[in-house]
Amino acid sequence: MEINIGLADVMRISPMIAIFIASLLPITTKVLSGNKEPNNLVTLIQGIAGLIVGLVLLTVVGGSGELAFSKSLVFDSITLWMGALAILSAMGAIIIMYENFATNGKQFAELVFLALNSVVGMLILVSAMDLLTLFVGLELMSLTLYLMIAMSHEEKLSKEAAFKYFLLGSFASAIFLYGTAFVFGTTGSTNLITFMQEASSLVQSNRLFLFGISFVILGFCFKVSIAPFHAWTPDVYQGAPTPHTAFMATAVKVVSFAAFLRVIATKSLVGSEGLFDVLQWLAVITMIVGNVGAIVQTNLKRVLAYSSISNSGYVLVGVITAGISDTGFFGASAVIFYLFSYCLMTLGAFAIVSILEKNENHMISLDGLKGLASRRPVYAFCFALFLLSLAGIPPSIGFFGKFYLFNAAVGEGLIWLAVWGVINSVISVYYYLKPIVYMYMTEGESEIAGHNLSATTVTMIVSAVFIALLGMLSGPIFSAVEKSFIN
Amino acid sequence: MLLSTVIFLPLFFALVMTFWPQQRTLRHLALGFSLVEFLISLMILSEFDIGSARLQLVEKITWIERFGIQYFVGIDGISLWLVLLTTFITPIIILASWQSIDTKVKGFHACLFLLQTAMIGTFLAMDAILFYVFWELSLIPMYFMVGIWGGARRIYATIKFFIFTMAGSVLMLVAIIYMMYLTQQATGVMSASLLEFYKVQIPFVAGTLMSQQTLLFFAFALAFAIKVPIWPVHTWLPDAHVEAPTPGSVILAGVMLKMGTYCFLRWVIPLFPDATEYWSWLFLSLGVIGIVYGALVAMIQPDIKKLVAYSSVSHMGYIILGLFVLNQYGITGGIYQMLNHGVSTGALFLLIGMIYERTHSREISKYGGLAGVLPIFTIFFFIITLSSIAVPLTNGFIGEYLILMGTFKAAPVYAYIAVTGVVLGAAYMLWMFKRVFFGEKGELVKDEHHPLHDLNLREIVVMVPLVILVFWMGIFPNHFLNWTKSSVDHLVNNKSKYYLEIHETKVAKGIEYGN
Repeated sequence: MEINIGLADVMRISPMIAIFIASLLPITTKVLSGNKEPNNLVTLIQGIAGLIVGLVLLTVVGGSGELAFSKSLVFDSITLWMGALAILSAMGAIIIMYENFATNGKQFAELVFLALNSVVGMLILVSAMDLLTLFVGLELMSLTLYLMIAMSHEEKLSKEAAFKYFLLGSFASAIFLYGTAFVFGTTGSTNLITFMQEASSLVQSNRLFLFGISFVILGFCFKVSIAPFHAWTPDVYQGAPTPHTAFMATAVKVVSFAAFLRVIATKSLVGSEGLFDVLQWLAVITMIVGNVGAIVQTNLKRVLAYSSISNSGYVLVGVITAGISDTGFFGASAVIFYLFSYCLMTLGAFAIVSILEKNENHMISLDGLKGLASRRPVYAFCFALFLLSLAGIPPSIGFFGKFYLFNAAVGEGLIWLAVWGVINSVISVYYYLKPIVYMYMTEGESEIAGHNLSATTVTMIVSAVFIALLGMLSGPIFSAVEKSFIN
Repeated sequence: MLLSTVIFLPLFFALVMTFWPQQRTLRHLALGFSLVEFLISLMILSEFDIGSARLQLVEKITWIERFGIQYFVGIDGISLWLVLLTTFITPIIILASWQSIDTKVKGFHACLFLLQTAMIGTFLAMDAILFYVFWELSLIPMYFMVGIWGGARRIYATIKFFIFTMAGSVLMLVAIIYMMYLTQQATGVMSASLLEFYKVQIPFVAGTLMSQQTLLFFAFALAFAIKVPIWPVHTWLPDAHVEAPTPGSVILAGVMLKMGTYCFLRWVIPLFPDATEYWSWLFLSLGVIGIVYGALVAMIQPDIKKLVAYSSVSHMGYIILGLFVLNQYGITGGIYQMLNHGVSTGALFLLIGMIYERTHSREISKYGGLAGVLPIFTIFFFIITLSSIAVPLTNGFIGEYLILMGTFKAAPVYAYIAVTGVVLGAAYMLWMFKRVFFGEKGELVKDEHHPLHDLNLREIVVMVPLVILVFWMGIFPNHFLNWTKSSVDHLVNNKSKYYLEIHETKVAKGIEYGN
């Protein structure tokens, strides 16, 4: 195999390089100044600046559909949109880290270093066209994340969460690699472009190939917490510091779905009806498990964790739609738009949780929201908006996200999935309304944390404004996403 | 731009209310705003072409081009009076809640105006997605209204209300999406416009549930049936009514329930004519059951508000009966009864709210002999009671008479049973009236430490417009029915293949009118 790397290849990965260099700035400063913690605000600005540069470079190089590094990386629409979304979510998460008790203060420089490297892993993951490159991205993203969670100033739960996530994540990675080995064994290649050409016939004739590709998919299912591989999610989301939970629930989920979509939407697994039947059932089960599970939770972060599981179920509907349609653009665009709306809502909701946390060991229960509306009307209003949008009430962006997703599903004849989806959004209304009941309809002593929270508040308000307005203006955005596929 | 103004002006008012710095002038401001809105909505009458069945004052702007979704509003004889009812009842509600709402006044009025936007939008939207947005949006302010200002079990009631309504409407969303694809198949262009939907011939197979038209029919009908509510999905209504604050109950009974019946007329009957015809027996039966069941259950209620809530179930049964007999009398009666119910039941809830403010109890057994103590209140209550039991010269009579006449013509069996509802209705209302107003003075009435005061000027001002309307609608029904006649004729004559055209000369000025 001839390996030929030119300057063009390096130019295309410039976003990754830029973010990596930016990630080195804070820890280099720290080491050079005798291991004295640099000013957190400077660290934050360095991190954000690195991400912005990465985002700008990504918009320049992404979306062209060109390949790099002998077909192992691709810069198409999925790379562009999902990568941008991951960078933006990471930006929001880092801002929340700056003001959260469990993450600010000492070791913030290391934290930003890890977070930015996680983003580099994400960008590799969204652009990977080769199962092994994909694996490298996945691991880079996950390993830094395990460390980030374990670094929390909170003593007990975060360590448990990190360890649990690490063990189960390693298992999933092993299964993913195992599947990759079978794919390589049957097709002689790990490159998606190469082996997917034969996949449509292989998936029917060759059991080993089907076995391998199923394991690869199973690895993704773990990462995006599709039931029954979701069990780690509530514990990890609860134990991890809130900003990291926000990071996992948004950026990590987006890029994992991007890679999932890339494997599924190459349109060569179509021959395998059994595979898609199973995926459809998984989507339905995930929605139900997530929504029913959330009803009985009393810890706010666990509620949001289960909500995130159920949202994975909705997105999986879109991924399946993209997988079975002839063109796949509509389904993929619906997935991208849905993830966009989901990131806004989830980031906003976790920002609120972070705002309410009064010290690093503080767990927010639903009771802890009592009477927030009379004391902090703006925060309560924004949180209510996020929850109603998550429940899919128009005219918020959450409704339009679901509308496009189910529209794509109905268009491909998957009406029953759409019906399950909407039934589940009714179930979800119950637990999304509960915090609103506590905030607005009961008296209590709830109060936000006492220190300066301006950056997190800004993040929250920006999300709220987008949620309120971008729903109604979603038409052009959606068309832009879809058109970028055709070009 | 008239219709858009009517729809979005309350939204603007809601925003102004939210940021209004003063507490003291909030109510005056809200009252002024709602009167302005009412006056503007009256301008629709002057613009409206009474002789045309077409869609008038149309505004049409592309919203989401990819799916053919438009901002498309228009008015015809079916929606005309419901819009005016909404704008008419809001100032009354604000005036009636002058003293009863004393916490979070700002939020309350903001909710009220937001609700007004959502309800008017639901009546005027001619695009399925736009309609759905307004339809669902109306849940949120009502949810807060019951949940924040309601009674003891308000949280249970409001969540039940929200989930019931939402459960019905999500299947409608899937049905709407499916209709959009059917429209694309039929015309080649995807569209969410109701007028395009009307043109689609949806395959119908009698005798099976699994035909396209039947499934779509039930997906839509379920959403509206829960909203109406039709027996047996009515159980959220008594809870919501009892727990809601007076203004909430009035708006719920006065306007929100009509969203359900109106949508049957606007969406279900014209879109799915075959399924409607085939399944009309089901809805006629449920309507009749609702009439009798509601009346019987109302009779034994110890709580006045709950009694009126169940009487609503009974009255809404009449409207369903009227709509599904599918003839001129029935549908005209149905539309008229929607207005009647809004006026009379709204007025009943207002009166109950007034007495509740004085005694803080709604138990019938604690009252008695009220007539001697509160004469003005008694007179108002008596007039509204007569209207509610459909005595001639009051509005209720016209509506029920037309509905029953239509039913006798089309399906006499149902009429025989429905007529018993008239008798039962008189029975429970008059019995309640007797127990509350006559006889020995009850414990609340003779309590000498808290003497009861008769209605003050504000409360009389609240009631007078409603009483005028009761007699006006009862004595001169044609003043109202003339406006709806063309649309109803058009619907009945074309019920198997309904279509709706846009009134070219009555397209809103300044709006470019395409395709």
